[in-house]
Amino acid sequence: MKPPQYHLRGIRASYRANLALEVEELTIDSGRLHILAGPNGSGKSTLLNILAFLMKPSDGEVVFAGTQVDWQRKQLASLRKRVTLLHQHSFLFSGTVSANVAFGPRARGMTTKEDVRRAVNESLAMVGLDGFESRDARHLSGGEARRVALARALACKPEVLLLDEPLSHVDKESAQIIETLVLSLSGQGTTIVMSSHNEQFAQRTEGRVIRLLDGRVESMVEGNGKAPSRDLDGYSYAKL
Amino acid sequence: MGFIAESVRTALSLIFSADQDVLAAVRTSVGVASWSVLLAALFGIPIGLGVGVNQFPLKRVVIVVLNSLMAMPTVVLGLLVYGLVSRQGPLGGRGLLFTPNAMIIGQTLLAVPIVANYTLSAIKGADVRIVPTALTLGAGSLRSMMQLTREVRFGIMAAVIAGFGRVISEVGVAMMLGGNIRWYTRTMTTAIALETSKGEFAFGLALGIILMVVSFSINILLTFMQESYQP
Repeated sequence: MKPPQYHLRGIRASYRANLALEVEELTIDSGRLHILAGPNGSGKSTLLNILAFLMKPSDGEVVFAGTQVDWQRKQLASLRKRVTLLHQHSFLFSGTVSANVAFGPRARGMTTKEDVRRAVNESLAMVGLDGFESRDARHLSGGEARRVALARALACKPEVLLLDEPLSHVDKESAQIIETLVLSLSGQGTTIVMSSHNEQFAQRTEGRVIRLLDGRVESMVEGNGKAPSRDLDGYSYAKL
Repeated sequence: MGFIAESVRTALSLIFSADQDVLAAVRTSVGVASWSVLLAALFGIPIGLGVGVNQFPLKRVVIVVLNSLMAMPTVVLGLLVYGLVSRQGPLGGRGLLFTPNAMIIGQTLLAVPIVANYTLSAIKGADVRIVPTALTLGAGSLRSMMQLTREVRFGIMAAVIAGFGRVISEVGVAMMLGGNIRWYTRTMTTAIALETSKGEFAFGLALGIILMVVSFSINILLTFMQESYQP
């Protein structure tokens, strides 16, 4: 049986003296959509940073696709090539849209110009920004910039896509495109973990909603409102 | 007033007639300063990046030391390097004293803290999302650092130009380690000091004008490049 994408146990993360996250046990299934819900400061972004291997928790263990994460540089470099996080306030590098989107494929070892160009074009087409290749990335509207950042993440073809509030502060058209893409990618087997204030979106999906409050997992339900009906690989949700 | 006007006329005539002494001093100044700032960039930029990006126990102390070294008197630095390269010093056997190479060593040491500090400031002012963004796109530490450097390249350029401005206008290191030897180690600044003390005000003024033109040109170039980059 395929191991879960992530299994977190006894995770604690703090910013200076403030405890931001305390998760006794949490499993993220492979190839599914998970939605992190909760108010500001509930620990959603902290959890996403841990899942992206950008932040080492002060305590606890993370198992990724059956591999224990040791947080050593060599392993982190390899794990980060399988995961991509789209930050809430995403940063676009100076230069063209094309250079931005090409960054991930190049960093992940794509060498031929033709392959990179194809990856860039495909990703931009997915977010509805064909023809934007030569545009200056710093001169885009908020919605366009968010879509370029999403295209940049998609160009990496990650096994796990982590999205921090992708639907906030974007225009209706961009929100629609992002929503459709998330559902489509999830249907194709990409593991997606996204934080969102949009509970309606969660209800429309088959995704699992993990609700956080004060850094703790408060509840976990299926997108259709039902409680998880099965234990995966022996990890009991009752422990949450 | 007549003295000043006459001196300016003579200075301009020395410049436009391509006086060999003037040209030699300009060549030495620009050559030594260019090599010095190149070497200072090789050391100073990584130091600034390393201190700016990493967290380590004595970081504050290192920053204070780097700041303090920016105010290092050039004659004291010249004296220290003199001790190293003079006949009795540990590098005495290499015959470096009173050569352009000795001047390059001294001026490099002078410029490293400047380049490092300006680079550090550029890093401190950089967007904190640059490195995490690069990392999450699959870049390793080195590539992330390169991307960070690319994003703050104008700050780093300012660091290098500030270093150049410092070394091309200094006298102490050039005088003590170069010895002000005509057509060999005589720079614009040491020549100005020497010729003025000899009463050759016009010659000093000619070099002073060239020194100002070089400094201003570099600053104008920097400003132009920075403005053309701004969105």
